[in-house]
Amino acid sequence: MNYSDDLAELILEFQDIEDKMERLEMVFDLAEEVNLLPIDQWGDDTRVRGCQSEAHVKVEVVDSNVNFYSGADSKLVQGLMGILTMAIHGVKADMVLELTPEFAAEMGILNSLSPSRSNGFRNMFDKVMNEIKLQV
Amino acid sequence: MREDFPILQREINGYPLVYFDNAATTQKPNSVIDAMNDYYSNSNANVHRAVHTLAGEATEGYESCRLALKERFNANRAIITSGTTEAINLVAHAWGRANLSDGDAIILTEMEHHSDIVPWQMLAQEMNIELRYVPVQKDLTLDMDLFEAAIDGAKLVCVVHISNVLGVCNPVEKIVEIAKQNGAKVLLDAAQSAPHQDIDFVALGADFMAFSAHKMCGPTGIGALLVSDEAFDEMQPFMGGGDMIETVSIHGSTYQQNEQKFEAGTPRIAEAIGWTQAINWLNNVDVESEHKRILESARWLSQQLRDMGMTVYGRHDDNDAAVVSFLHPTMNSEDLAHLLDARGFAVRTGHHCAQPLLDRLEITGTVRVSLYFYNTHEEVVSFVNYLAEILERFA
Repeated sequence: MNYSDDLAELILEFQDIEDKMERLEMVFDLAEEVNLLPIDQWGDDTRVRGCQSEAHVKVEVVDSNVNFYSGADSKLVQGLMGILTMAIHGVKADMVLELTPEFAAEMGILNSLSPSRSNGFRNMFDKVMNEIKLQV
Repeated sequence: MREDFPILQREINGYPLVYFDNAATTQKPNSVIDAMNDYYSNSNANVHRAVHTLAGEATEGYESCRLALKERFNANRAIITSGTTEAINLVAHAWGRANLSDGDAIILTEMEHHSDIVPWQMLAQEMNIELRYVPVQKDLTLDMDLFEAAIDGAKLVCVVHISNVLGVCNPVEKIVEIAKQNGAKVLLDAAQSAPHQDIDFVALGADFMAFSAHKMCGPTGIGALLVSDEAFDEMQPFMGGGDMIETVSIHGSTYQQNEQKFEAGTPRIAEAIGWTQAINWLNNVDVESEHKRILESARWLSQQLRDMGMTVYGRHDDNDAAVVSFLHPTMNSEDLAHLLDARGFAVRTGHHCAQPLLDRLEITGTVRVSLYFYNTHEEVVSFVNYLAEILERFA
C-alpha cells in the first residue's frame, strides 16, 4: 500500500511505541490535528453511527482533493480523527480511495482500543470513503 | 481467598490485573472451573429421564444446585433460569399473564435495571396495564411517600434490591410490608444483592426473587427465580416442551407440578454444577465482615475521587454495595476507561443498563468501580494513584 509521506511516518512512529499508555497518549495528542467541525454543524448527516461517543465527520472534494472536517466528545475518538486527517486531508481523492483501514492496524492502534472503539473507527472510515465516492 | 481465582494472577499490558467490574460479572474460583470441566470430562449426560449412570450423575449434579439455592436463600421453590433477565421475564409471562388484567397497575422504580422495566413495558402494551414509577430523590433514595401513594390498586411491585449504578440498597423490608398490606405481590431484582448479602427469602416475605449465578462467582448463562408457595401456585407454564411435561398425547398434555414445570428443554447442567460450587465457596465466606471491608474501601475511594474533583454518585450506607460511580468534570468516561485498562484496571463505563436512572440524574453514563470480596484495599490505593497520574497527564 502506498501511503502519503505524513501517514507513512506516523505509522513508523506508532510502531516504535511498545507501551499501550504511550500509544494512547500519542492518539490523544493527535486530537489537535483535526480540522474541527464546529458542534453547531453536527447533525444526523455528519454522525458516525455505531460509535459510543458523539463523533461527526464532513468531507468535501474540491479540485479532486479531499477536505476532511471532524469532531468528537471523546479526545481519544478525536485523536483517531486526527490520524485520519493526516491520512486523507489535502490528498487526491483517487489516492484516498485506495486506502483501507489496514493502516490503522499497522499502527497497532486498533489493538489498543476496545472492540466498540475499533468498530467505531471502521465505521468512520467507511462513512468517509462512501462520501468521497459520492463526490468524485 | 485470591489464590482461589486463577484469573487474578493474570497480567494486562504487563501489569497485574485489577478487576473492578464485579457488578457486571465476577471471576470464578478454581472449584467452579474444575467442577464444570469434570462434568464434561466424566459425567456428561442429559438429566431426569435416562436410567444409566451418567444420567444419574448429571441429574444429581443439576438438582444439587437447586438444593444449594434453597438452602442458601431459605426458599421453598427455586426455578433455574438463564439469569436475572429470564427470571423476570418468566414472572411477566407465567404469573403476569395469568393474574393481571386490563386496568391493573404495576409499580416499578426509576432505579430499575432495563431487565426489570422492558418486560413490564411489553406486557403493559399487550394487556393495557398501568406502570407507575417511583422516583429517585436527590439523596439517591426512593421516594417512599410516593411509593405509598402509588400502591393503592397495584397488583405487583417490582423493585431492585441494590442499584447496579449507585450501590444503594433499597428498604425492601418496608416495601414488602407496604405491598403486603395492600395485597400486592413483590418481585425483587436481587442481581446485585444476592452476591453481597445473606438473604432469607422466606423471612423477607417477597414473592419472587431473581438473580444470576455469574455475579456471585458462578458461570454465565444461569440464574434463578425464587418463588413463594402462594405465587408458585398462581403461575402458569410459559415455555412448553421437554422436561416441563408429565404426559403428552395428541389430545393434550399434563405438566410437572414442581419447578420443572417452568424449565422446558434440556437445562444448563454444567452451569448448575458450577454454580453449586460457587454457592459452596460463598457459604464459606464471612459475607458480613467481607462486605464491611470492601465497603470501607469504597468509602475511602469515594472521598479520594471527590478530592480529585470528581462527582461521585453514591452514598455508601452500611447496607449499600461497594460500588463507586463517578464522573470527571471534563474527561470523557470511555477515554478514562481506556487509559485505566492500559495499566490493567478493569472498570465499567456507560449507562449500565439503567437509563431511566441516569435520566433522573441528568447524566448519560458514569465510570463505575465495583468491588467484590477478592479485591484488596491495596488495589484501590493503586487505582487512586494511577488515576492521579492520568489526570495529571491527560485532563
